[in-house]
Amino acid sequence: MENAWLIPLFPLLSFLILLLFGRQLKEASAYVGILLTLASLVYSVIVLAGRLQGPTFKTEAGWLQIGDLQLTVGFEVNQLNALMLVIVSLVSFLVHTYSKGYMHGDERFPVFYGYLGLFTFAMLGLVISPNLLQTYIFWELVGLGSFLLIGFYFYKESAKQAAKKAFIMTRIGDVGLLIGMVLLFWQTGSFEYDDIFAAVEAGEVSGTMITLTAILIFIGAVGKSGQFPLHTWLPDAMEGPTPVSALIHAATMVAAGVYLVAAMFPLFEASETAMMTVAVIGAVTAIFAASIGLVQTDIKRVLAYSTVSQLGYMMLALGSAGYVAGVFHLMTHAFFKALLFLAAGSVIHAVHTQDIEKMGGLWKKLRLTGPLFLIGTLAISGVPLFSGFFSKDEILISAWTHGNTFLFWLAVIAAFFTAFYMFRLFFMVFAGEARSQMKNVHESPVTMTAPMMVLGILAIVAGYVNTPWFGTFLGDWLVEGNGHGHTEGPVWIMLVATLVSLLGILLAYLMYGRRTMERDWLSSRLPITYSILYNKYFIDEFYERSFVYGAKAVSLFLRFIEVFLVEGLLKVVVGLVQGLGRSGARVQSGQTQTYGMAAFLGLAFLMLIFAITGGYFG
Amino acid sequence: MNGFYLSLLVFSPLLGLLLLAFMPRENEKGIKFLGFLATLPALVLSLMAYAAYQGGKGLDEFSERVRWIQFGGFGAIDENLYTVFYELGIDGFSLLMIVLTTVLATLASIASFHVKKEWKGYFMLFLLLEIGMLGVFTAQNLILFFLFFEITLVPMFFLIGKWGYFEKEKAAYSFLIYNGLGSAVLLIVIMVLFARTGTTNIEALKILVNSDNSQLVAPISESLKLGLLIALLVAFGVKLPIFPLHSWMLRVHVEAPPSIVMLHSGILLKIGAFGLIRFGLGIFPEQFRDLSVLLAVLGVVNLLYGAFMAFIQDDFKMVLAYSSISHMGIVLIGLGALNEAGIQGAIFQVVSHGLISALLFFLVSVLYERVQTTNIANLGGLAQGMPLTAGFLLAGAMASLGLPGMSGFISEFMAFMGLFREMPVLAAVGTLGIIMTAVYLLRAVLAITYGRSDREFAGITDIRSYEWAPVLILVGLIILIGVYPAVLSQPIESIVLGIGG
Repeated sequence: MENAWLIPLFPLLSFLILLLFGRQLKEASAYVGILLTLASLVYSVIVLAGRLQGPTFKTEAGWLQIGDLQLTVGFEVNQLNALMLVIVSLVSFLVHTYSKGYMHGDERFPVFYGYLGLFTFAMLGLVISPNLLQTYIFWELVGLGSFLLIGFYFYKESAKQAAKKAFIMTRIGDVGLLIGMVLLFWQTGSFEYDDIFAAVEAGEVSGTMITLTAILIFIGAVGKSGQFPLHTWLPDAMEGPTPVSALIHAATMVAAGVYLVAAMFPLFEASETAMMTVAVIGAVTAIFAASIGLVQTDIKRVLAYSTVSQLGYMMLALGSAGYVAGVFHLMTHAFFKALLFLAAGSVIHAVHTQDIEKMGGLWKKLRLTGPLFLIGTLAISGVPLFSGFFSKDEILISAWTHGNTFLFWLAVIAAFFTAFYMFRLFFMVFAGEARSQMKNVHESPVTMTAPMMVLGILAIVAGYVNTPWFGTFLGDWLVEGNGHGHTEGPVWIMLVATLVSLLGILLAYLMYGRRTMERDWLSSRLPITYSILYNKYFIDEFYERSFVYGAKAVSLFLRFIEVFLVEGLLKVVVGLVQGLGRSGARVQSGQTQTYGMAAFLGLAFLMLIFAITGGYFG
Repeated sequence: MNGFYLSLLVFSPLLGLLLLAFMPRENEKGIKFLGFLATLPALVLSLMAYAAYQGGKGLDEFSERVRWIQFGGFGAIDENLYTVFYELGIDGFSLLMIVLTTVLATLASIASFHVKKEWKGYFMLFLLLEIGMLGVFTAQNLILFFLFFEITLVPMFFLIGKWGYFEKEKAAYSFLIYNGLGSAVLLIVIMVLFARTGTTNIEALKILVNSDNSQLVAPISESLKLGLLIALLVAFGVKLPIFPLHSWMLRVHVEAPPSIVMLHSGILLKIGAFGLIRFGLGIFPEQFRDLSVLLAVLGVVNLLYGAFMAFIQDDFKMVLAYSSISHMGIVLIGLGALNEAGIQGAIFQVVSHGLISALLFFLVSVLYERVQTTNIANLGGLAQGMPLTAGFLLAGAMASLGLPGMSGFISEFMAFMGLFREMPVLAAVGTLGIIMTAVYLLRAVLAITYGRSDREFAGITDIRSYEWAPVLILVGLIILIGVYPAVLSQPIESIVLGIGG
């Protein structure tokens, strides 16, 4: 564990190698990336194994001296970090492998792998940071990786806009995090997690300050995790290549917000208001994004909204004191959502479109992708025995036992929506008739299917590390020594959850599978609702009209000031100088008598002053 | 070291200047190469000084002092009264500024290879400018400082007016008038101090002005001190520039040749910050504290004003010009905070912005050389034909918007950290600038490099041969400071310590 700092450096090395030699390596770049992330993965597993037995490890060194203040950098391996290391390096390794097939033939292949390496480095660095400042540094760097990869197809106008949007929207959140972090620093005198928690526990920070800083930090998490109201960038981020969506915008980076709240959990726990804020934002996001997902027709966008919604679930869990539930769902979600995205990528790779209206009947043609996609769909819908079932159940129990009844029912409805739109997606893509234009459809190469199979297995079994039936190993281990609490709840919640997900599946089956119900059943009866959902509640339009136009208006107003006030000042200055020059020129008339008189008068004036003041320094 | 090390450093470009005088004026290659070589002695000497300092050598060992001008006959009272010495010396901050100056001068001389006419005159003025800049940072008394300060104005005037773009004459005149007025105000301050204390030595002034029982020729009242500080603020505010005294520098940014803007934006603007810290804060610390709120407010105004204006510019050079105004706001924010974090942030920002704006303007020069425009609307999709240039442009923008791991983050972070301690509400308003910086930089840079290209840029060449040097060195330094900030924080430790107590 002493050398856990090496884990992020392998992908960094990959980035540097590809930056320098990418052009020569061409598609061999993939091996560099795959091998080095494999190294990270192996090491991460060793570290996790070590942490399962041993204690938390932490070490730090000085970095920046400000007067008497010493800011440090270092790394820490606690339960949460060790778990995150494995999740991130595993998904990254699988995505590296998958991309070898998916990106084959792209002329910027080495660049792609380079960016992947940069991102993986930043993400791994983020999860082993022992203090807020270092977390912030890597927090921004993962944002850079995300930005570069969203804009990978830079020549597309839409990709350019999406990349810009992602960077700016998350930066709005980041500023919240920055302010919260600096305020905490001046309150507690440290960026170190341990010191901050100790100060909070000792009552050195006022209640208002705890609430304020916790909410500011949460704003950072809202931006990164695509929570309402800063969620709009995440669906647009689907402009990036699909493996990127799987890695960054499903499994790892967007979960960083959840990770941050989990890492700062003692601070949040100290403020009831902050906890409530997290829970409400989480629940609202969960149902809000799920409702949009009901009507989208782009395969990746449906998955994107489902990601937003699932992240909302995790936030709800954390806000309801369900520390284990939140982290558990983070883990299972990473696996099944990465699986879904990779499978979606495999579909896109085969049919060269993302519009599900144009797909259909692919079950017979994609003999591997189809069943794997189904596994992911079952897991996310919360069908019993799959991983998502157990983690979602934990969340619902947390919400219920914490007394957030209203939020609990919101989450239940969102679960119904989830099951419906995921199976809608599944049926539209895989069931029904094959379209005529889908002739040369064939299964993806093994580099792509193998990672999907690994994730498929994990999407099934990952839930069993923490079940009410066989034992809550993960939960017990996660809360060991920090007392974050682990809840158990009534059995009927599990039944309700199962029931709503089955209902959702049934409805989807009737509408899109057997088609006994009209497909435009909803859109024809509730045209306005449909239109609102289809247009994502018009939030993008609202932001465009309010903030973008607002910023432009401010700028134009300032330009007005610039033109009239500042340039006016310039004109006055220039006018004064010119006027002075002109009058000087007029004096220089060439008449010696005038010069003589001026000299005489001047001398007389000086002597007068001399007489009055009484000479030198009187 | 021998007693005239700093003089050698400051006046070393003179050697190249003399040699250039004997070059035939049409020998383009020779002149360019000699112009480049002429910047090297100063570079080597400054790096040696830095290395010696890192090796444990005291900076006061570099000091030199020669009796120079005597005003009046006060030998009977005090031999040194009203005597101006020729005295050079450095502290940690000026050491950093000298290294920055020599590095940027060398890189700007490489960028000057893009100059199209009258190379001989160009490089002679260029080297004269370098002497002036180096002198400003080493002068130990106000009169010598003022002389070097004025030396920078003359070559700048001609460099802008002759080698600039379309409205170069106008830009040159507004540069001269504004800076001339600033200098006049500065001269008044210097003369008042000189008349009342009998010396202009900065260290002596720090003591004389601030101790109650010092022997002054004529007393300086508290209100006069405040007045003098405000005058200094105006004089250096023109240079920095502080809103609303900035319009001259927009013209210079847009009209001057990019190689000169590298120095202008990188070094000359920083003289304003340098002066405020060294003279304003140094000589009038108590009055500085009274004005700290004003400074912080001006800083936030600068930051936001520059950012919002940059957001609607069509010319990339204008975006960068307003971005400089915005970033100088961060210097003011740090100074206004007036605690250790704030001052250190301000000094970091001075160095960091020097490197970043030099990088960006070098890339402007590279770009203009190929496409003859910097208008955002006429560009687009350059990453297709010039992936390297596009990549470095993005790196420069990221550094400028304060991405961690690069120098801009450290300075911005410390300045804001300082201000959050003293005036949290104002600081919170200022953070809007952090968002806007990302907005306007990405808008401009992505419009140039991403998207579809409207024009056919067939056969366009990417960064090549000598152009690599400035880009790699600047990016390297920016990342070095971002990852290992001790390279900067260590020399200025003694300056920062104790501020704000």
